[in-house]
Amino acid sequence: MGSALQKALALILSADAELLNILSVTARMSLQSSLIALLLGVPLGIWLGACRFPGRGALVVVNRTLMGMPPVVCGLLFYMLFSGVGPFRHMKLLFTVQIMVMAQVVLITPIVVGNMETYVAGIAPAVRETAKGLGLGGIKTFALLCNECVYPIISAYLLAFARSIAEVGAVSMVGGAISWKTNVMTTAIMQYTNRGNFSLGIALGMILLAVSLFVNIVISLVQRRLSR
Amino acid sequence: MNIQPFSKTYDGVRVLSFPGLDLEPGKIYAVIGANGSGKSTFAKILAGVLPADRKGRIRDDAAVGYLPQKHYAFRMSTRRNLLLSTNEEARAAELMDALQIRHLEKKRADRLSGGETARMALARLMMKRYDTVILDEPTAAMDMETTAAAEKLILDYTRQTGCTLILVTHSLQQARRIADEVLFFHKGVLKETGTKEQVLFHPSQPETRQFLDFYGR
Ligand SMILES: Nc1ncnc2c1ncn2[C@@H]1O[C@H](COP(=O)(O)OP(=O)(O)O)[C@@H](O)[C@H]1O
Ligand SMILES: [Mg+2]
Repeated sequence: MGSALQKALALILSADAELLNILSVTARMSLQSSLIALLLGVPLGIWLGACRFPGRGALVVVNRTLMGMPPVVCGLLFYMLFSGVGPFRHMKLLFTVQIMVMAQVVLITPIVVGNMETYVAGIAPAVRETAKGLGLGGIKTFALLCNECVYPIISAYLLAFARSIAEVGAVSMVGGAISWKTNVMTTAIMQYTNRGNFSLGIALGMILLAVSLFVNIVISLVQRRLSR
Repeated sequence: MNIQPFSKTYDGVRVLSFPGLDLEPGKIYAVIGANGSGKSTFAKILAGVLPADRKGRIRDDAAVGYLPQKHYAFRMSTRRNLLLSTNEEARAAELMDALQIRHLEKKRADRLSGGETARMALARLMMKRYDTVILDEPTAAMDMETTAAAEKLILDYTRQTGCTLILVTHSLQQARRIADEVLFFHKGVLKETGTKEQVLFHPSQPETRQFLDFYGR
């Protein structure tokens, strides 16, 4: 146990090539999926939170359900669509970083949508009344509403990123945890633990925890600002 | 301004029915009544931020300024909050001086205290000229000194612009100090309306008398 920890530290300090590759694949996947989720989720969440239309309530419930979707179900779905029997098999995306990103976008966009929706629905009536009371037009009112959302957007992004980097069920199914190609931190930890090679697992676990700690410190700082 | 008859129903309960009224320009109308008597609902429907039961127009198409009961401070400086509806820096400075918030002009408005937010919100509304101005309890969060400054500003604004001013207030003293006419709501019904002297000093309805007795004549 103690020697595994020593080896883990040595791996990190010596910038082990495989370790670096795993980190870079993870960063590529998580940055891409969280940014796409942000671009899709922010407008959708603001729209859902600010506009009143028939079917809005149903969409909110659907989104809440998607927020709680087990990653393996998402993985299964993408596996079926892109594997040898699926309709998209010719795209040859199975076991690539792209399909991992796609599966993750489906998993984490609802988190962004849900967080934005909750926040915007809370402030939209007051913003709208105040702006209308001042005789401001629709475009200016919308711009003001978006300006109120700066911190919620940052916090929603970080939550999405944190979920993406820690997620294992979907990415292991569609990515296949192929060394030097689609192996990310979480899948590598599983893999090396199964093989009894604890030191790389511990090294990755420590890095993952450190990243998560950092992200959550930033989230709590942002949320402290939010709560005024 | 001419107000048509209208009503408002929430979940099958009628919370307001209004018989219609003609408002004269240049006058201050105080709207008084107990909590939950429908004052804010009346203000919101007049302001056009809440639909009445009946579709169609409730009032003529005037430029209406409205200050909701809950003041919202946008996430920007106090000064920039004031400059949202017009760019007149001089006017903003004058208003901030009048309400003693000049020292807060660079401060983020969403970090102001309750009373400071109320002053910012009133100043922000007074930046522009409107035909009709609706204020929903603008001084509820202010101390006595700032309330006096706010009342002076409201009077000056009405005189200078010749607008019709509708002032929802929980304070009979305030109605006595600055209103010309008074509208008394009781359980969602306009029970009594007329000049300040009539309604506040010689009420004709038993509900009005009760209300005045309770809050001290
Ligand atoms: N959104 C709403 N849904 C249901 N009832 C409401 C709503 N808004 C106000 N009411 C009810 O309408 C009545 C009048 O409220 P309001 O106009 O705010 O009173 P006031 O401003 O005189 O205190 C109250 O009984 C209140 O509970
Ligand atoms: Mg009210």
